[in-house]
Amino acid sequence: MARVTKAKGGGDVGFNMTPMIDIIFNLVIFFMLISQFQQLEIEDVVLPEAEAAKVMDYSEYRNIVINIIKGKTSSLDAVVKVMGREMNVLEPYTRPDGSQTVGGELTALLVSMTSQEGRGQLNVILRADADVPYEDVARVMLAAGAAGIEGWWITTKIPESEQK
Amino acid sequence: MRNTGRTRKEVKIQPPMTPMIDCIFQLLIFFMLMPTFQSREGYLTTNLPRDQGPNPTTQKDMERIKVELLDEGNEGQGVSIVLNGTQSLGDNFEGLRAALEGYRAQGLQPSHPVLISPTMAVRHKFVVRAFDAAVTARFTSIHFAVPR
Repeated sequence: MARVTKAKGGGDVGFNMTPMIDIIFNLVIFFMLISQFQQLEIEDVVLPEAEAAKVMDYSEYRNIVINIIKGKTSSLDAVVKVMGREMNVLEPYTRPDGSQTVGGELTALLVSMTSQEGRGQLNVILRADADVPYEDVARVMLAAGAAGIEGWWITTKIPESEQK
Repeated sequence: MRNTGRTRKEVKIQPPMTPMIDCIFQLLIFFMLMPTFQSREGYLTTNLPRDQGPNPTTQKDMERIKVELLDEGNEGQGVSIVLNGTQSLGDNFEGLRAALEGYRAQGLQPSHPVLISPTMAVRHKFVVRAFDAAVTARFTSIHFAVPR
């Protein structure tokens, strides 16, 4: 018959740390990835290179990311996308006072965002494909200007030689 | 008879490998993903002019440096730089940077306005290169001309 022995002196009951660390790492990775994608509704664009570009913590500011994606067949049919949604910037935008300005849906969205009180200055982070014509960038610029936005950040790729 | 226990086989104590491997994989994935998200992207920042209605005041009173970018070739695949309406630099952005640094060396303040004026078909990458040249020459007041 098997003999059951009682441990003498009562052993220490400790936490099993390994699964806890395991779960914590999982959560850290999860929230890091989620925050990246929540902050920036980024689209896959080929960014232009700039040596003088600075890496900045965009999360310290209130931003809206505007993507300008090159057309599939030509650089002339570029698409403006904000938060995953295509925006019409060709139509005029009618202000509450009846006057019209440029930018269509995009201006309407930017005006609604800037009018949210007590949330600080809104910056535009522009992620435009290197090959889109200036015409498309200028339209977005005008829409932002019409909405009273001043902060204009152009996203660029830092060349390999500049990366530390 | 009393059992002294000396005859028992010695049991090898091994650390549990499974959770260790588990954690190592977690760390591996974490450090593999980190460089992907450590931004290789940077920002060139400026301020847009406020909407000033149909007749915005010009900055004619301040002699700003004007960098014109003219599209060349099919769908603006090439570019031609004209500085202050007279100095043609072809597509030499290094030359533009040197010229702008020359202005700074002559005593122009960093706040001296620089206007980048591209034609509509010029590609975004050339506009950014001109902006880059102006920032590298340590100008801080850089604006874009937007035809209405």
